[in-house]
Amino acid sequence: MVDLALKILLHDKLRFTITVAGVAFAVALVLSQIGLFFGLLSNATPTIRNANADLWVTSHNTPNVDFAHEFPETYVNRVRSVPGVAKADNLIVTFMNISLPNGAEEGGVFYALDDFSAWNLPWRVKEGNIQDLRRGEFIFLDESAKRRLGDFALGDFREVQHNRLRIAGQSQDAKSFTTTPVSFIDFRRAQEMNPDLLKGKTSYILVKLAPGADVKAVKAEIRRRLPFNDVYTTNEWATKSEAYWIKNTGIGLNAFLAVFLGVLVGVVVVAQTLYTSTMEHIKEFGTVKAIGGSNADIYRILARQATIAAALGFILGLGLAFAQKPAIEAMALKLIMPASTIAVVAIGTLLLCLASAMVSFRKVANVDPGLVFRS
Amino acid sequence: MTVLEARDITKTYQEGAQETTVLRGVSMDLLAGEVVTLEGPSGSGKTTLLQILGCILSPSGGELRIHENPVAGHSAHLAAIRRRNIGFVFQQFNLFPSLNALENVQYAINLKGVKGSAAKSEAGALLDAVGLSDRANYLPRDLSGGQKQRVAIARALACKPSVLLADEPTANLDSAVGAQILELFRDLAKRENRALLIVTHDPKVRSIADRVLQIHDGRLRP
Repeated sequence: MVDLALKILLHDKLRFTITVAGVAFAVALVLSQIGLFFGLLSNATPTIRNANADLWVTSHNTPNVDFAHEFPETYVNRVRSVPGVAKADNLIVTFMNISLPNGAEEGGVFYALDDFSAWNLPWRVKEGNIQDLRRGEFIFLDESAKRRLGDFALGDFREVQHNRLRIAGQSQDAKSFTTTPVSFIDFRRAQEMNPDLLKGKTSYILVKLAPGADVKAVKAEIRRRLPFNDVYTTNEWATKSEAYWIKNTGIGLNAFLAVFLGVLVGVVVVAQTLYTSTMEHIKEFGTVKAIGGSNADIYRILARQATIAAALGFILGLGLAFAQKPAIEAMALKLIMPASTIAVVAIGTLLLCLASAMVSFRKVANVDPGLVFRS
Repeated sequence: MTVLEARDITKTYQEGAQETTVLRGVSMDLLAGEVVTLEGPSGSGKTTLLQILGCILSPSGGELRIHENPVAGHSAHLAAIRRRNIGFVFQQFNLFPSLNALENVQYAINLKGVKGSAAKSEAGALLDAVGLSDRANYLPRDLSGGQKQRVAIARALACKPSVLLADEPTANLDSAVGAQILELFRDLAKRENRALLIVTHDPKVRSIADRVLQIHDGRLRP
């Protein structure tokens, strides 16, 4: 079968290059914007998703994991007695100031537990033993905190709320959406450092269910026993935390606008170049009709051209998106492009290129084969 | 044997309030193996008649039959009739510039549903028949006018048409090459028993004609 569609495309290599480049640019823009969006969102919930908890008990209307409100720590006993609960512990998440060696102060978000290992927090330890936190005036800092706190090493001291704490270890990947450094300290230590706010209080109760326990039933019972608290599964709580940042920071709208812009650029470039190409080859399409071809034959040519532009543009755009990953990561940002997103963008690219070709479909549907008789 | 019959064909164009009649009751037959030329001044209706006979244009009135079957219907149906019965050769050749000579012919064969190596070998045979097998891989821009017209003729033969319609096929060729093309036309019509209608201004075309038709003001002259 003679591939007239491809031959016409390749006959004008410059135009073909512009078409593919336009699609590639749009795909790279869309993928990188979605990737950045997912990357930002991933910072909103890493502690939720990595903690070994099935349920999170929060104070009523807590908007996200970082903006916790305190409630009595004794509530944990009510939760522990609920049938189906295997384990429940208090977790404090609170902001405190860290004094830097140069005299400046930086805010930090502190996660405080009695037994970190039991809850898989922190989930990646670069150095040190997390159990050391139980020994008293120690702190675990996340490696990413170096951007805000400056360089630090095991054994160094940092002052938190005027308490001198020794760095007992470093975690990795524990980040907050606000880029505030994440640290880990012992539960009682945290209460002692900020007694006005935290004495006898907790921010959350982490719940591990017994094997075979009915999640809905356990949630309902905890709600009944703690009527002024909320109870979420891990996924529900992560989704609520992400939704807060999406709605309240404008990143959702920003990502949507960037994706829309990328799609618009792609559609306009493909539609414009395919249309111009169609108009320049209109006599050839007239010839196709004159020698017995139907509108369907011409539609197939245009659809194939759009498909070729979509496929090549997508591959190139995907390559571009991945190529910028190291540069983006060097800026302490994450580009997360799950396979499912890549598949959706691939299908979207194809559909939009075909939709762009529709502009040309309308034109060739009315091509008069008689124009081949005109000189 | 009559291949094509046109009875009382009329064609009127409407432009705003103005009505222009191009053909006024044209009746004619084309017989198998017959070479007919259609001559007339510019604006006399030659090309319009050619388009109607080639099922590209629908007449305003009258009846057209190919192999005794009436020609009518929507554009897809007319395209199918063209694909089965009519071969066109144009003054401007109208080859696909991005396809080489072989592919130009092969594409027309593909359109009738023959694919793959069968289409390629059929296209090669047709190029051979017009004496151009040694230029099979040349793009149109690398062919002379006469060679382009031979490719166009090979392409027109791709559907094994019973009617060949040629619009000023020698107008863009020098006289020596034009004579060769005319000889090729005559040979194809007689050897393969095809009806051939050539629209022309060129009096030399008459030399191969079995019959000459004159058209003036949309009417055939006896």
